[in-house]
Amino acid sequence: MNFVALFQALDTSQSTNSKRDALIAFIRKSDPLESALAVEALTDRTRGKRLKPNVLKQTAYLAFGEDGWLFEECYGAVGDLSETLAILFADQETSPEITQPVLADWIHRQEKLGQLELGELTNELLLLLKAFSKDEAFLFLKLSSGGFRVGVNKGLVHDAVAQAVAMDRAIIEERLMGEFIADRNWLHRLQSPVTQDELDARPLPFLLANPLIQSELSSLDPSTVLVEYKWDGIRAQLIKTRETIRLWSRGDHDITEQFPDVVDAATTLPSQLILDGEILAGRPGHLLSFSDLQTRLNRKRITHNLLKTHPVFFRAYDVLRSDGRDIREKPLIYRKEVLATLAVNQSPVTFPNTPEQIATIRESAREASAEGVMIKRRESPYVSGRKVGHWWKWKLDPMTADCVLIYAQAGHGRRASLHSDYTLACWTSDGDLVPVAKAYSGLTDAELKAMDRWIRKHTVQKFGPVRQVEPQQVFEIGFEGITRSTRHKSGLALRFPRILRWRQDVGANDADRLAHFETLMRDSRAV
Amino acid sequence: MVSKKSCLREPLIIRTPEGLYCPKARAHIDPWRPVDCALITHAHADHARAGSRLYHCALGGEGILKKRLGEHDIQTHAYGEVFILGDVRVSFHPAGHVLGSAQIRVDDGNSVWVITGDYKRDPDPTCPLFEPVTCDVLITEATFALPIYRWPSMDQVMDRLFSWWDHHVRNHRTPVLLCYSLGKAQRIMAEISNRSDRSVLVHGAVANLNLEYEKQGVELCPWERATESKTSNSTDLIIAPPQVADSAFLKRFQPTELAMASGWMQVRGVRRRSTINKGFVVSDHADWDGLVRTVKDSGASQVYATHGETRVFTRYLNDCLHINAERLETAFGIEAGTDQ
Repeated sequence: MNFVALFQALDTSQSTNSKRDALIAFIRKSDPLESALAVEALTDRTRGKRLKPNVLKQTAYLAFGEDGWLFEECYGAVGDLSETLAILFADQETSPEITQPVLADWIHRQEKLGQLELGELTNELLLLLKAFSKDEAFLFLKLSSGGFRVGVNKGLVHDAVAQAVAMDRAIIEERLMGEFIADRNWLHRLQSPVTQDELDARPLPFLLANPLIQSELSSLDPSTVLVEYKWDGIRAQLIKTRETIRLWSRGDHDITEQFPDVVDAATTLPSQLILDGEILAGRPGHLLSFSDLQTRLNRKRITHNLLKTHPVFFRAYDVLRSDGRDIREKPLIYRKEVLATLAVNQSPVTFPNTPEQIATIRESAREASAEGVMIKRRESPYVSGRKVGHWWKWKLDPMTADCVLIYAQAGHGRRASLHSDYTLACWTSDGDLVPVAKAYSGLTDAELKAMDRWIRKHTVQKFGPVRQVEPQQVFEIGFEGITRSTRHKSGLALRFPRILRWRQDVGANDADRLAHFETLMRDSRAV
Repeated sequence: MVSKKSCLREPLIIRTPEGLYCPKARAHIDPWRPVDCALITHAHADHARAGSRLYHCALGGEGILKKRLGEHDIQTHAYGEVFILGDVRVSFHPAGHVLGSAQIRVDDGNSVWVITGDYKRDPDPTCPLFEPVTCDVLITEATFALPIYRWPSMDQVMDRLFSWWDHHVRNHRTPVLLCYSLGKAQRIMAEISNRSDRSVLVHGAVANLNLEYEKQGVELCPWERATESKTSNSTDLIIAPPQVADSAFLKRFQPTELAMASGWMQVRGVRRRSTINKGFVVSDHADWDGLVRTVKDSGASQVYATHGETRVFTRYLNDCLHINAERLETAFGIEAGTDQ
């Protein structure tokens, strides 16, 4: 099995399990250098662009001569430069090589091509493509021009490698995220004996809260629980071993690299410690929104400037290991006492006397930039997973607005042929409609079908897959917060917008105005 | 030349609200509303609609047309047979699209117009090969008029189909090939029959048309109707129309593995946007080379493109081949999404 065969297996599957199985089989069976280079490509480690997109275009233009416009039409229909060239120039009749390794040879060819002058390069590339099958040409070009995506994320690759070598996922992820040398010995190095410190740096299973059902509130004895705000950040375990500091998000994802400021702040903490808490944007006295936190995610480089404009910090609410001792079996109030001895930002705790008091704290959540409250049993041990009767979450009701449908697009997967992705707008003071949200769900299948029929009949204009429709249909949307945004025309970004109701009783003219959002934003102070 | 002038001054075919119309024959071609007399290129839903008083079609297409439209008055004509309609001579010529598909040639003595309907240039064991017809004015389809649409050989496609089929049978999944039930399904079954003794199970919509094809002497691979009792513990491929992808029909064959046979499968993104894992590039339409070759073969000095990538195609004909070409909007190809 080689990389082409792996691609074919990944590309013809939409199930994560079968993608993982294909990756495992590939890592186990293929040439170790092929698998090393494949893992490098699939985890976004490719060393820059060996061929610039412009080179691909020039090559196509060379072949099309005066009819360059015809190439642009093709590119427009395909939507991917590498694929367009593969379809146009590769040999459709040959089948690709699927057993012998290809990647080392390809990289060598790409590097050689990269050294040529443009004129010679385009000629050579064209000849090369003509000798390839379609899949080979596509992959060759994709890999050479950077940004290779095949519906497989880093996490899944880490999963597969861990299973292929039968080792702990967290340890494999740690080792893959360190320095990676793509050579024949990569699997040997990966399987070297695990050190005690590596074991200590692994996260423990998170305790997850259940949503509070209203009726539970009255049966809850307030004297057995404590209440804190539900913070709107990234749930994480902060682990300090003798040698390292690690941050893990749920699902065993090491997010340490993204938050050097959190790591810095943790250096003063005692070692052999595991804290559970939330990474939040802003400073303890002045929180920023979740969208500010998002700008810190999935970055190749965290610049000095970004650390200044988008600071983050860790707010702890539990201790799982203290001084090397696992204290998960101890009651929550004990763990809270341990936490109180540590010099780390902490989530304030209230011991309520009445259910009404819990409700009052919840009411104040938005003002505190939180998204609701957490109710935790005082005696609860730190169990793993979503066990009932320990922690409850009680979120705020969403903010709402009535918006007008202006664009619709076909969905994905089960909704591939239905126009289920809506762009919704509100009125400006000048009487124009300006988009405020994109929403994907919330309608029943029957409603979706009816809307799909309506959309097809009332399309004003088509932009590729997007249909502009007559502004008539009104939907009530719910969302968790509003922030200012320079990226959106409306100047607003909604947090987690979704459709609550199809307002067939409301005309487009009676939909909400931009001012409505301004008011909501002022009231929630989430600016 | 007389013919050129007369076709400018007095076009043989015009567009009316009912569809393409030949005033001199007092007949419509593939009308989208009921008319008095309809000349039908082939039985796909966007070309053959019910309700007209009289239909003309090519010999071999009558049975399918009846299955599609119900009982109607239908007159059939052998390919190449010339018949008089009003003031013009009309004849049907093989289009190679599906069984009984035809190009329609209309000749008033001054000029010759040809309406291709849907067509392909590649061989197909279920119908006669497309026959180039010279004319002054060609009205052509342009469904796949982009150079990215180049069809691989049927040998290549069938090799890939067989290895995909075997792979999933080995892994205890039922391979399901989705394709248009009229034409594509039978073409694939005939190709299977030419290469192997494999058998298939088919959806009811395909079964009904299979019977008609076999009645016309087309040899298909062994097939059975997929019924309640016929479940997935066999090595059979299931052939069904694309509409069943989300339906209860497939439930009893689970676990299933879906593939689509269509010209659209040439583009990865088209398949990836659907729920279908695998695509086979098979089309009953002409690819780019086929369309260009057909215009050249016809010798036409004026071309109208009716549906598909008409904008690109007419620009190419005008700018690059220096043939007058215009777009002619019709209701053909409106049932988009399925590659008919």
